[in-house]
Amino acid sequence: MKIVIKAFLRYLLRRRSLSILQLSGIACGVAAVIGMAISARSALYSFNEAIEFLRGKATHHIERPAGSMDEVTLMEIKDDPAVDFFSPVIDRRIRAGDGEVVRILGIDPFLDSAIRPEIVRTISKGQSPQENNALYDFLYEENAVLIDNNMAGQLGISSGNTINTNKGAVKVVGTFSNPSGEPLIIMDIGNAQKIFESTGKIDRIDLVLNDETGFRNRWDKGFKIESNKQRRENLTALLRAFKLNLQALSLLALFVGVFLIYNTAMFAVVSRRKDAGIMRGIGVRRSEVFFAFTTEIMLFGIAGGAIGSVFGYILSRILIDILGNTISDLYFFLRPIPLPWSWWNLIAGIALGCGASLLGGITPMIDLVKTEPVSALRGRIYQRTSKNTVKRLSVFGLMIISIGVFFLIFTSAHVYIGFAGTFIFLIGISLTTGLVLMGSIPLLRRFFSYLSGTIGKIAISNIWLNTNRTSIAVAAFMIALSMAIGLSSLIHSFRHSLIWWMNSQLRGDIYISTRSDVDVPLELYEELKNMPGIGGIDVYRNIQITFRDKPVHLTAIDSSVLQRYTNFSWLKGGSENWDPVKKGSVIISESFSRRFRIKEGDKVSIESAKGIVSLPVTGIFHDYSTEHGVIMMDRSTYIDLFNDRTINSLGIFIDVKGEQRQKIIEEVENMAHARGLPTSRQRQFHDRILAVFDNTFAITRSMRTLAIIVAFFGIAGALMTLFVERQQEFGIYRALGFSTKQVAVITLLEGIGMGLISFLMSIFTGSAIAYILIKVINLESFNWTIFFYFSLNPYITAFTTAILASIGASLYPLWKVYRLYPQMQIREE
Amino acid sequence: MFKVQCPGLKDKLGFLKNQRKIWIFLFCFFLSFFYLSPLTLYPLLSHCYTSEWKQAIGKWVWEFPRDHGSHPEYKTEWWYFTGNLLDEKGKRYGYQLTFFRHSLKKSPEKTDKNQKSPWTVDDIYLGHFAITDIQNKKFWFTERTSRRGPGLAYAATDRMDIRLLNWNAIMKKNNIFIKARHQDMEIDFELTPIKNIVLHGADGLSMKGERQGQASYYYSLTRLETKGIIKTPLSNKAFKVKGLSWFDHEFGSNQLSPQQEGWDWFSLHLSDGRDLMIYILRKKDGTVEDASSGTLVEKDGSSRHLIRPFINIQILDRWQSTRSKGIYPNGWRIQIPSAQIDLTIYPLLAEQELITDSSTRIIYWEGAVEGKGTSKNRPITATGYIELTGYAGSLGGIF
Repeated sequence: MKIVIKAFLRYLLRRRSLSILQLSGIACGVAAVIGMAISARSALYSFNEAIEFLRGKATHHIERPAGSMDEVTLMEIKDDPAVDFFSPVIDRRIRAGDGEVVRILGIDPFLDSAIRPEIVRTISKGQSPQENNALYDFLYEENAVLIDNNMAGQLGISSGNTINTNKGAVKVVGTFSNPSGEPLIIMDIGNAQKIFESTGKIDRIDLVLNDETGFRNRWDKGFKIESNKQRRENLTALLRAFKLNLQALSLLALFVGVFLIYNTAMFAVVSRRKDAGIMRGIGVRRSEVFFAFTTEIMLFGIAGGAIGSVFGYILSRILIDILGNTISDLYFFLRPIPLPWSWWNLIAGIALGCGASLLGGITPMIDLVKTEPVSALRGRIYQRTSKNTVKRLSVFGLMIISIGVFFLIFTSAHVYIGFAGTFIFLIGISLTTGLVLMGSIPLLRRFFSYLSGTIGKIAISNIWLNTNRTSIAVAAFMIALSMAIGLSSLIHSFRHSLIWWMNSQLRGDIYISTRSDVDVPLELYEELKNMPGIGGIDVYRNIQITFRDKPVHLTAIDSSVLQRYTNFSWLKGGSENWDPVKKGSVIISESFSRRFRIKEGDKVSIESAKGIVSLPVTGIFHDYSTEHGVIMMDRSTYIDLFNDRTINSLGIFIDVKGEQRQKIIEEVENMAHARGLPTSRQRQFHDRILAVFDNTFAITRSMRTLAIIVAFFGIAGALMTLFVERQQEFGIYRALGFSTKQVAVITLLEGIGMGLISFLMSIFTGSAIAYILIKVINLESFNWTIFFYFSLNPYITAFTTAILASIGASLYPLWKVYRLYPQMQIREE
Repeated sequence: MFKVQCPGLKDKLGFLKNQRKIWIFLFCFFLSFFYLSPLTLYPLLSHCYTSEWKQAIGKWVWEFPRDHGSHPEYKTEWWYFTGNLLDEKGKRYGYQLTFFRHSLKKSPEKTDKNQKSPWTVDDIYLGHFAITDIQNKKFWFTERTSRRGPGLAYAATDRMDIRLLNWNAIMKKNNIFIKARHQDMEIDFELTPIKNIVLHGADGLSMKGERQGQASYYYSLTRLETKGIIKTPLSNKAFKVKGLSWFDHEFGSNQLSPQQEGWDWFSLHLSDGRDLMIYILRKKDGTVEDASSGTLVEKDGSSRHLIRPFINIQILDRWQSTRSKGIYPNGWRIQIPSAQIDLTIYPLLAEQELITDSSTRIIYWEGAVEGKGTSKNRPITATGYIELTGYAGSLGGIF
């Protein structure tokens, strides 16, 4: 037995390049899966940690449905029998330096020690007198703050340093450890009230309650009480679509990865057919051959899996940053902390490598072991796939496709069913590759013989003759290309839908303070209202509320201004939809309508400062601003219901044209800048939204690249195996009088031919995937309609990739052809 | 055992007798504050100890109820209630409720009224609250700290009206109403003084060191009839209790020397109507501070100081805490020959040790006690409270 295994392993050394390729194939597949999985887990873990850390020991919190509350509320809270501990909090955002928007909490260290003891305790953690003064400084220096270690490390600052913010310089008097990835600044509540100009106000009160029901009964009017469970659910729901996206990408990575490993392992076994025949011929038992093969496959699985898991871990570090950017852009600022290396990664990688390898190797192995030594000795050249097998397989494939489509129809039940449907669909398609090959060979042969005569013909015939090998490589490559086409088309269509939406809704000439960290003072609005030349100002206020226990956005706008100046895209009706809004009804976004199955004429019940109110819905509009759904109402309705006059941003519409217009824009800019408010003109505003959009899809794009890399290894492996197996054929070609160059061209054309077939198949499959992603998956996970915008680019990219990858994959065989003497090649015959 | 042979020193040392409360205040203050910040206060106090604060120098013109209130021109101040109670079935309970006011400011200068936000930290208020259930051998303790904030904590300057979140002590007419609730612990008592106010030291000026200003103003209501309701984590609902309480009020702006290791403080109600307070300050070198002293209040309310030489205390038993490993005295014989007092005192429950946040390592024992013996040669019983500090790790270093 040992001898057999040794013989097998020695072969691997002999065929070093093939072995390396095989190993890289497995490693790449594993790396893709592990990398995606780790980064997704890190991001979600950090997110949960951030929620936990901020929550501290609180069981509930109480706040106004919108805006902040009077701090005198604390007088009643302290006497409420249900309250064990409480801590008032100012929870805002601040822009540190030119950098990111960071959460800043204003707390009272005395009261907060019951809620977040670990933060407060760090004020005086140190031993030196200087550090001991931290609490004193924290309380008495007006701009004193504590920052978390991660942030301190990133900014390279320590106690005593100052940081410039949009609210002036703050002095760091201490640092605290923060296990979550959300940077955090802590300030004394009194000082926080000062810098945010909200004296006498607090944003919420964190509570430890002993009797929730009693407390809710006493505080239900005009307040929103949220338990931690609700809060966690709300925040998690906020990330739902994002999480889905990550899961889908992880699944995609798994699919492509497993496919690649499967592919690699199968080639490994098939290419050893002859060796196995010789072994059997000299008296080695079947079981020994089987065992030797298994050992070889497992060795590759283990080594490739181990390498892959390490690479995957490294890859995850890159992906985490991208994920962090996306979460920060869309939800809240988060720097996910990569999970530390765990040996489980290695175990998972090896398991994946071995599992998928065994899966790939098992069928040919059984086949091989069963074969009579004599027929095995002939090598694999004479083994042809019958047309019937191809047809049978394709019929099976078509059945699988229909199952996939069936699943896709029921996506509305759960988006996971849509994922499953998509993958089943892809598996089905790949099973029909043989049939497609069969169908396209005559055409291709004609095309190639037109291009390069007999040589082209021979190349294409070789592809056909080796269908059982080539079809798998073609299928793997095709799936990768289809994914690339599908994802690119989705991104393209989404981007164009977004542009269309921006052009219809965000038509203001200049926007003031569209960032989340600054509000617009009322006086500025009053001042601008009276400025000649300004036709209308849209006063924008957006808050997050819970609707049927899910987070949604509530937006207050000036409906008459929007009616006049914008061109909202309605699901039904037109500009007249604004009329009832002026009288107190609301309009909802498409995502809201789909998510909660609410139509025009229905009513939405929301919790306002006046208690629960029921408002009629009179219009549904397209919206891509949030997948959670938007309820939009007129500002007058909002103020009436929530008693909150905060303005988040202003959109200004200018009536006059020409030079005068430019002057007004500049004047508005000056007025805003004088108050430290950022402005952006329409163009800039749109560009910023697009930048966020592009960021969001960065991870998708990197997965697309990954898919292509994996596919490249797939096709390279296939070509090389084909070459290694058929070296003697090349010898015959040479003996027949073909020049080395011609043989090289045959090899190259085989590669290109496979690439071309893959591409042709991916045109159909990729378009189907694009359709599924846009009309099924996206609609279900985001609840909004993306309009399909055709673009040739994804197809051109796929074509270029296909040709370049197949040429790249042919390089090694080409080099071999030139290097080996013809005699040596024929000698084997 | 403390034996002092020089009765003639009485007048010289009498002024030192009130150090006990200052220590307790500071100790408790640290206790509360250090669970936020173990070592913060020392430097704070260092810079607080400045001449800008009004010092306890000279005679104080007492005027009640004004002096039951706060004296913000002094840096520190406390109101201190302890008591032994019986429920309707005769079960025994002890309680402690203490309020502290401490200024964090470096000087007593007032901040500009217009700019002043309620969150401005002038004084911080601290509280300790403990209940002992003798029958069930249970002891519960909690503490809290707050700044003034928007009505979160304050002490009136013209009467006794002290509030710390939902704990408070308010005097109406002649009676004091104290109230505290924390989770399942709750007390709500009405205290009626049986005896007049007792001024300690020289008309209430209680010296605590030889340096001028190292003193405080200090008075007590040693015997208050107590009735009201109590709730413990073991009882499902509040129930009625009555008994006797002890009240202290002290204010000053001084600092302690760090050479002491801890102190033993006794406040006892004797069944013949006499009340006894003794305070023993232990130094690190094993000796007893000369300031250690006491006050005896007769049934009619008249009082006299007991200087250290008059007090003879013998420790009868010791108890080791399983949690802190500290070894505490657990039984005493107190003899005051000049007052014809001979008492044997034992804790009603050994486990009345307070262990605050483990990282701060501040641990002390304060609990209800009972005893018997003779007073004026007649057999009597006694109840009261004893405080023992510095037995589980020295406190001096922290101070």
